[in-house]
Amino acid sequence: MSSMLLEYSLIFMVISFIPCLYRVIKGPTIPDRVVALDAMTTIIVVMLGIYSYDQESVFFMDVALVLAIISFVGTVTISKYLDEGVVF
Amino acid sequence: MILDILSNIVLVIGLFFVFLAMLGLARLPDVYNRLHATTKIGTLGAFGVMLSILLKVGFSAMGVKALTVALFILVTSPVAAHMISRAAHRHGVGLCKESVIDEYGKACDAACPVPKEDTIQE
Repeated sequence: MSSMLLEYSLIFMVISFIPCLYRVIKGPTIPDRVVALDAMTTIIVVMLGIYSYDQESVFFMDVALVLAIISFVGTVTISKYLDEGVVF
Repeated sequence: MILDILSNIVLVIGLFFVFLAMLGLARLPDVYNRLHATTKIGTLGAFGVMLSILLKVGFSAMGVKALTVALFILVTSPVAAHMISRAAHRHGVGLCKESVIDEYGKACDAACPVPKEDTIQE
């Protein structure tokens, strides 16, 4: 029963990419696209966690941690660039 | 058995917040409203799902890594949301028509007022 719930949650998260992609393509301003990409990256992190439990392999959890770090650094960098015009 | 049921409940709560965030991302009218909706993925959605994995496997290698990912996302997601919303406000992205108050804009204008054209020329 538990693995069936995990498979349904993976399917649900793949479906939930559709509003993110819609907002990335259509979004009127640049912060809209950044917000949608940030949400998408967090969903990928959650999917990697569930997939790691499903496959009983620890290594996907490392990928999830690295992807979370890269997402945070990327969002902060883009917002600093939008704010001040320079990154550093 | 009790831990299994509890982890399933936490997983469903996390998925429900992911669903709410996607609904808000598709339907809300403004950058700030959409940001208000999507920050819930980081704080409640990802934390709930990772906590569910921790409850399923216990404190093994996978459980400790899931707890690490959950705490990292719980700390960094509000910081990233705050920075992108401040950058959007300073970049000049306006509020939607239905919004009634703009405290941060008034505070910015009071702190450093925009100089008039004639004062710049003098």
